[in-house]
Amino acid sequence: MANTACFMIVSKNDIPIYEAEVGTVPKKEDAAHQHQFILHAALDIVQDMAWTTSAMFLKAIDRFNDLVVSVYIKVIHTRLMLLHDSRNDDGIKSFFQEVHELYIKTLLNPLYLPGSRITSSHFDTKVRALARKYL
Amino acid sequence: MVKKGFEERLPFKRAFLNNKTRNPVLVEELPAEFILTTDARLRSRFPQEQSLFWFREPYATIVLVTCEDLDEFKNILKPRLKLIVQNDEREWFIVFVSKAPAHNDQATKMAKKVYAKLEVDFSSKKRERCCKLDINAPEANFWDDLETKIMECIRNTLDRRIQFYEEEIRKLSEQRFMPVWNFCNFFHPEEVKRYGWYIPLYYAAANLMVEESLAFMFEIAHLHEDALREYDELELCYLETGAQRVCQYGWKAREFGGVEQGDDQATLLEPARKPLTQIVHDDSFREFEFGSIYLPSMLPFCMREVWVITACLALIDATASHYKDGLAAPDVEKEFYRVQGEIYTLCRTKFMRLGYLIGYGSDIERSPVNSASLSMLPWPKPAVWPSLPSNASSEVLAKEKMILQDSPRHKHFGIQRKPLPLEPSVLLREANRRRASLSAGNMSELFDGRPNANDSSGPLSPLPKVNSVSMSRTFSSPGNFEGSIDRPMRLAEIYVAAEHALRNTISDVKLWESLSSIEKFEQKYLDLSKGAANNYHRSWWKRHGVVLDGEIAAVYHKHENYDFAANLYEKVCALYAGEGWENLLAEVLPNLAECQKIQNDQAGYLSSCVRLLSLDKGLFLTKERQAFQSEVVRLAHSEMEHPVPLDVSSLITFSGNQGPLLELCDGDPGTLSVTLWSEFPDDITLESLSLTLTATNNTDEGAKAIKSTEAIVLRPGRNIITLPLPPQKPGSYVLGVLTGQIGQLRFRSHSFSKGGPADSDDFLSYEKPTRPILKVANPRSLVDLAAAVSSALLMNESQWVGIIVRPLNYSLKGAVLHIDAGPGLRIEERHHFEIEKHEVGTQNMTNLDNPPENLSPVSTGVKQLTLEDGKIKLPDWTSNITSVLWIPLRAVSDGLAKGTPAGFKCLRLLRRTIAVHFTDPFHVSIRVADKCNDGTLLLQVKASLAIYDAWLDLQDGFAHAGKGDGRPASSFFPLIVSPKSKAGILFSIYLAEASAKVRFSLFVLYESVFVERQAGLKFVFPIHLTSADEAKELQPVSILNIKYTISGSRNLGAHTPVAEELTGPDNVKAEHLTFRSELVLQRPVLDPCLAVGFLSLPSSGLRVGQLVTMKWRVERLKALEEKVASDNLDEVLYEVNINPENWMIAGRKRGYVSLSTKQGMRFEDRDLNIMPASGCRICPPPQLGLPNVDEANISCNPPGPHLVCVLPPPLSSSYCVPA
Repeated sequence: MANTACFMIVSKNDIPIYEAEVGTVPKKEDAAHQHQFILHAALDIVQDMAWTTSAMFLKAIDRFNDLVVSVYIKVIHTRLMLLHDSRNDDGIKSFFQEVHELYIKTLLNPLYLPGSRITSSHFDTKVRALARKYL
Repeated sequence: MVKKGFEERLPFKRAFLNNKTRNPVLVEELPAEFILTTDARLRSRFPQEQSLFWFREPYATIVLVTCEDLDEFKNILKPRLKLIVQNDEREWFIVFVSKAPAHNDQATKMAKKVYAKLEVDFSSKKRERCCKLDINAPEANFWDDLETKIMECIRNTLDRRIQFYEEEIRKLSEQRFMPVWNFCNFFHPEEVKRYGWYIPLYYAAANLMVEESLAFMFEIAHLHEDALREYDELELCYLETGAQRVCQYGWKAREFGGVEQGDDQATLLEPARKPLTQIVHDDSFREFEFGSIYLPSMLPFCMREVWVITACLALIDATASHYKDGLAAPDVEKEFYRVQGEIYTLCRTKFMRLGYLIGYGSDIERSPVNSASLSMLPWPKPAVWPSLPSNASSEVLAKEKMILQDSPRHKHFGIQRKPLPLEPSVLLREANRRRASLSAGNMSELFDGRPNANDSSGPLSPLPKVNSVSMSRTFSSPGNFEGSIDRPMRLAEIYVAAEHALRNTISDVKLWESLSSIEKFEQKYLDLSKGAANNYHRSWWKRHGVVLDGEIAAVYHKHENYDFAANLYEKVCALYAGEGWENLLAEVLPNLAECQKIQNDQAGYLSSCVRLLSLDKGLFLTKERQAFQSEVVRLAHSEMEHPVPLDVSSLITFSGNQGPLLELCDGDPGTLSVTLWSEFPDDITLESLSLTLTATNNTDEGAKAIKSTEAIVLRPGRNIITLPLPPQKPGSYVLGVLTGQIGQLRFRSHSFSKGGPADSDDFLSYEKPTRPILKVANPRSLVDLAAAVSSALLMNESQWVGIIVRPLNYSLKGAVLHIDAGPGLRIEERHHFEIEKHEVGTQNMTNLDNPPENLSPVSTGVKQLTLEDGKIKLPDWTSNITSVLWIPLRAVSDGLAKGTPAGFKCLRLLRRTIAVHFTDPFHVSIRVADKCNDGTLLLQVKASLAIYDAWLDLQDGFAHAGKGDGRPASSFFPLIVSPKSKAGILFSIYLAEASAKVRFSLFVLYESVFVERQAGLKFVFPIHLTSADEAKELQPVSILNIKYTISGSRNLGAHTPVAEELTGPDNVKAEHLTFRSELVLQRPVLDPCLAVGFLSLPSSGLRVGQLVTMKWRVERLKALEEKVASDNLDEVLYEVNINPENWMIAGRKRGYVSLSTKQGMRFEDRDLNIMPASGCRICPPPQLGLPNVDEANISCNPPGPHLVCVLPPPLSSSYCVPA
């Protein structure tokens, strides 16, 4: 499993709707800001790339020193972003695919308003389990 | 020896090489070097990299062999040579060195044999790959031969390489336009790791690099013209992508190896400096000097950082001057600016690093971007950290002072955050660890005495001593550790040491100057930030730009240039807020707020405070949030010059209450209960509050506001408030906007519920949950009023009239009933009204058989009410149940119109007239004794009647027989008439003229009454009329007077009377009531002239809608003699009287029949088509009257009124199919 990994779902309005630190290294207090900052800045690049490719999985689109940003862009332009230090591309891809599925299930929930923050603890648990499995 | 011979020939003269287009080019001199295959240079490369750095590979392999024995050749040399040749991709040829001395024929022969063998094995017809060098007797043409072979090899290799590079360029060019292509596939991970952040740079530069390789290769091959052309192409390429020289930077930094003075500066475009190629030459040729481990000790301190800074600055200068706006396509232009931005950022990062090392760290904003840039960037790794120069004690003091003076800036609102780190690891530890003299054991004590801003424990006194120890050393002579220091350096010392080291590293005067003082540092830092931000803004990368704007703002902020700072901060906040990145927003927003406060921008400050409050609760401590709130409240209560409206949508949200919505009837006021969520950390007082209601069905009308006038204190979290709701129009309503006041401040809130997405335009596509909160029904009746009594009430008596008040799904709370008795009715005001619960069961109690005590099961719930000004206020307990209001009434006269208009007032008016039927205690019919005409009789009193007196006031023309007062004998009275009985009173009268005696008698008979079980009294007046008088008609009717009392239960369908006076069953003294009834006495037909007979109807009966013919017979009984004056004696006028409710007439109603004056003339066929008009009933048929003939002369058959029965219409069978 990756030492550092910060996973985020960003809605099509660029709003982070889900956020989880899924690395094995306990999260430092200041890391949240840095991770958020890096992921936020990476949106610029995602924005550049998203419309020029049909691929959903954009691996390692941005780097920040040792950390790499991989992105999975969905049809509705929701982005699953992962900041990670591991190089396990296949694992990351599988992780994205499974989280994607989870997210779609969440969308199917009539009580969930698309674009709002995902607060489901079930979702959180599942994502963390997937992170342990794949990253 | 061989080598020496080889090298003597160098450089090759007049070499012909092929250029890119395969044209032979004459190269005057071609330098070459012979190295051994065991040379370390050939082993250093990673296999992956080799393709790119082919130009550093040898051009050809020359295999020197010697062999003196055929067997040896066969067994050992040949297999080895094969192996070498096969595995070598390079060009090769074999030089056979014959060591045989010339005089030794045997040996010479042997050598020749071996060489021949060699030639057979390795040379082909196309290519001579062998040559023979006789050491002892070199042949004259050997060297030429060798040279030719070498040339050939070099030419071939060069061709192959050109081919390879061209292929590579083509491939890269293709890939470049595939966005997913990633340069890291191409580079070794190590590279990627080191410059990971600059992958985009690599990306842009990738094919440039390959092209450069090509150019460089030509240059090596001394194909200068071609090399120049390649460089030209490169130049074009740079311009095209806007990524000028980036490749050079990337390349060079990677392999950086310059050590000479000035090498720290990127000298790409300065001809005076070493050209890039030369450095690369240096690199390739000297890498062995440095060793493959890059002995950093050889490098000045922070060489890499300094070099990157200068390289970046040079690049920026060069490209910016090269580039003119509008020259390139927009896409290229954007890309150009982006790369510029990246270079600025990189430069800025390195510059900050240097600044931090010499102690300007406190001036670097600890923002996420700086923290991320610096804390993840490893410290420079010199083998030995620079140590303190000897004469630096004053500088150390100055730095100490600076450290002491530097107090961490306090954030506004007393926000206390652990500052974000600017270093990958603590500098103190890192620096001391890299000082060779320190053992690991010292590390722990190092941190105990770690100096910080307040720490003055670091003794200053030992400093000179330490310095004296290291006096003899210069920092640039690494490896000289004889004056080792046992004490770890303190922070100030580290700063000073770094400063001195850098002074030696940096040769660029400008760069050094910008590091020389904190002001200059800040200026440069600001310039770099601005440059980066501006360039990012011109590219697509807005976020990068805005983030850097925040850094610029921080500098302005520190220098109290609040106006600029606030503007820039606002941009940053807008970005983060717009995209909902609250963590990042929470870092910047307090700064903005502080600027706004200082600028006295009250509106901005307020909104910033509100935004701070509305950020996620976890981002700030409660104490801090309270500070925000107190600022808001303070401003709200202060005198603001320009009071601003405040949007608190994120702080105060509202929704209707859970559960069913409020339903109101048209025109009703109500109370609306609304849930407010307050995100304020403390209670907050709202001076006023109003909510708008918007009708969902009617958008034309504006929203209506409902207000709460009292101040409301909102607790944090959920609050339920109630608002008075004035009457609204029918429709359903949703909540609109919440407005109100905090102090002087008007606020509004649009958001409906908690947890919803932020209010942005994009969310309009999602339906907002607009649950109606209020529904006002269309007008309908809210209450039903009905009479409680179905049977008639008695005249003249105090009677209870019940009004059933039935709320129709509506609360009658506070309802007032107006009662207005109709004419002839008097409300007995001395009695209380009574109200009780109405139960369905009471309606069944119209049964007389029930004992009276069972008729009042609800009497316990009876409440007395008092009428005030014709109004009754209904008690609250009746508001939701059906109740009966009992009104004491008395009908004061007979022959009245009867009715009780009752109006209901419950803010709205329901006007309802309730008809109450009063009846007389007696129903009187007359029976003339000798003609015995039987009429119906009804009496609706279920009580015993006691008759005390009865008399008949006769009409004119009649007189009582006997004594004359018309009273029966008094001995009959009181006559008790019980229910279910009929009674008859006989009066004897006579026609006054004839003085006829009338016999009087009274009898009582019992009989069971038919169907309805209505008991009754039957008064039969068997009047024997003997004469008629037409003279006087003063009193047209006779009046029967009966004095009586009533006793018994009158509960039937009525209220149990409570007032004893009303009932008084045995109260003899009670006033006797008088019953008056009119009787019309008909004079008998004394002189019948005409007879009218009704011919019987068809036996099948009458049906509604069925046309029947009615026939009468008119017959003259005797001839007219006296009255002959009339012209039309034989014409008799007739008229048919019908009740239009029952009959429809088709034919003449009125006309003449011709009837001769002779007796016995009859007229039979006066017929009339008549149709019964309505339902099943028994009704009187039409009657034929003869208006011109005196009634006394008409004899009728049947003599009295009679009834016919009309059946309902036949069933329509037209649509029925018979079974």
